[in-house]
Amino acid sequence: MASGASGSFGEEGRRTVFGWIKTRFPSVPWADLTRKAIETDQRQMPRSHAEKYELKTIWYWYPLYCLGGISFVAFIILTITGIILGFFYVPDGRLDRTITGGLTNPAYLSMQRIMFEVPFGFIIRGMHHWAAHIMIAAVFLHMCRVYFTGAYKKPRELNWLIGVVLLLMTILFGYSGYLLPANNLSEAAANIGINMTRASPLIGDQAARLLWGDLNTLSGIYILRWYWIHVFILPFIATGVMIVHMGLVWIQGVAEPH
Amino acid sequence: MEIEKVKERIMEGRPGFTRQYGPSRTDHQPGIPFFPQEATRDFVVIFFLTAIMFFLSAFVTPFLGPPRSPQVSELAVPDWYLLFSWGLLKIADIFPVFTIGAGTPLQTEFSAVFWGDILSGIPIIALLLLPFLDRGREARPAKAPIRSAVGLAGIMAIFTSSLYSIREVVWERWTTPNGQPLIDDTAMKWFFVIPPVLVGLASYVALRRLGFKPMRKWLVSMTLVAFLIVAGQSLAILFVPGWLGPEVQPYWVQLALFLFILSAAAGASALAVLVLPESRARRAVHITGIVTFLAFVGATLYLQSAEPKAFDWILSVLEPNTNTLLLLPGFAVVTAWFGLRRPYSTYEYLLNECYQCGKCHTVCPVTKVEDDALGGLNLVYNSFKKQHDGVPLWTCLACDACSAVCPLDIKYSDYILEERSKAHARSAADGGEVE
Repeated sequence: MASGASGSFGEEGRRTVFGWIKTRFPSVPWADLTRKAIETDQRQMPRSHAEKYELKTIWYWYPLYCLGGISFVAFIILTITGIILGFFYVPDGRLDRTITGGLTNPAYLSMQRIMFEVPFGFIIRGMHHWAAHIMIAAVFLHMCRVYFTGAYKKPRELNWLIGVVLLLMTILFGYSGYLLPANNLSEAAANIGINMTRASPLIGDQAARLLWGDLNTLSGIYILRWYWIHVFILPFIATGVMIVHMGLVWIQGVAEPH
Repeated sequence: MEIEKVKERIMEGRPGFTRQYGPSRTDHQPGIPFFPQEATRDFVVIFFLTAIMFFLSAFVTPFLGPPRSPQVSELAVPDWYLLFSWGLLKIADIFPVFTIGAGTPLQTEFSAVFWGDILSGIPIIALLLLPFLDRGREARPAKAPIRSAVGLAGIMAIFTSSLYSIREVVWERWTTPNGQPLIDDTAMKWFFVIPPVLVGLASYVALRRLGFKPMRKWLVSMTLVAFLIVAGQSLAILFVPGWLGPEVQPYWVQLALFLFILSAAAGASALAVLVLPESRARRAVHITGIVTFLAFVGATLYLQSAEPKAFDWILSVLEPNTNTLLLLPGFAVVTAWFGLRRPYSTYEYLLNECYQCGKCHTVCPVTKVEDDALGGLNLVYNSFKKQHDGVPLWTCLACDACSAVCPLDIKYSDYILEERSKAHARSAADGGEVE
């Protein structure tokens, strides 16, 4: 910084503004600590796999090492398109009659609105749909890669367990996602899900009431339940677990090359 | 050289010494750096992915279907990633249904759905236990044949389970001339066991062979068992009275031809493995595979055009026995081919494990005196890349110092000796002149 004697108005102002913030939020020591932690040996951020092991060639399996990244990119796209869809979707599955007497429900009507009336609505829904398929495929293939290259071995057992949890959560994301349009597929899938929940011993019916709101799909309350699971509970937990998953990869390093 | 690196590490940050780590690092960074090389590649992948999603969403509109109603008449198939669970749910009806602790608060009903829940839980529990079950140090798939075979069998099981979940579609799509499902329920249930086991065994044999293990005992027993099952069942189908339905009886000769082709494939593989020396057995199995494939396709095409009705009835005999009559001959030929494969790329394959740590070069005595081997080259890596500027082929002492320090146990001197013997063989073939 320049000396105060010839300080311009801009510099004075900056010092005043940042000084005001700094006296209240002393961020400098924290930033310094973080920088030191980041720059420690083996833990600096911009250090790729090839760089860390000083590789001059790429093993023919390495293209498969981008599958985890692909699933994360798909997850980001899902978040963005999901937020946009959330502005138009109505999580209400209660049965209703059309003017001609056919069955319908508000959730399905809002889906039709997204597909036919909202500008670029079908593109946004299509992106959400295909990104979900790509994410699940990428997560499964990523798991296969980790399995076949033995990357789950010591000291990465914990990260493998977290990965299994993430795989289950991804499948749950997909399942809860196709419950929401309140179409025939949703109805059939919800029935199977309710039956599977109710079949568990002792707590079956209570668990079904908790997860599905009812013991059958007639009331349509399951749409609201699974909407909340799909857009709040699962993303909240999954994002946290993903951060831990990737943080462990950063700390432990990508599995050694072979 | 190592001590200099340590000194630099200690003196890091002092005037005149470079920073070793961090963004302001000034010295040469080895390897492929994250920015801009790897970042460029990542952005290409990201843009490509986004482009694919835009393309799909613009031209392949996701399905919406009719609104939900309590009476779902048609078969609603879930998304592909849940099919395996649905298949497990459907096969759960093979388990007994009973209730324990009836009348007590702990009453548990072992219904078909509950068995389905348990079956779906098994793969998840297996995945959770995996890192604690597999404690070996081998990471490369080909060096851990059991793990790789189990993994491939598991992937196969996911496929067959998914196939079973849409059994109604299969039954509707493929039928016998009298309207029965072509592949019956029993055969489809056995798909849960037989194809995964066959895939696991074949990949185990193939991967062990890749790691130089002689697999003859495995091959002899497996191909013989396959042949005996196929031949025994073929004979039973043809000669036990009452086995063939009256509709198929008129096509006995055509059926016998198909069964002969299938039995002969398994039999020829078993015979080749049993009596022939390795190189000739390999060729025999190769020819068997090609001839069987051509004969089967040829017979199928001929019969389909000449006598389509006969072909339909023959299929109605073959398809319910897919697990034995159709899969076992293919299994015998493929496994024998893998198990007899010449491991010609073995040394390259082993050297390929090198990740260029450079320890071999540090200990190599030859590189200390050879002029053209000086200069920080990596012995194993350069040899593998056929750039013989590591240790030239004829100056290596085969002292094995490099193998002693190699973190991946690469036997460099074995490779050198092998290459020398190959060179001698070549020169002998050229008339005995030394190269």
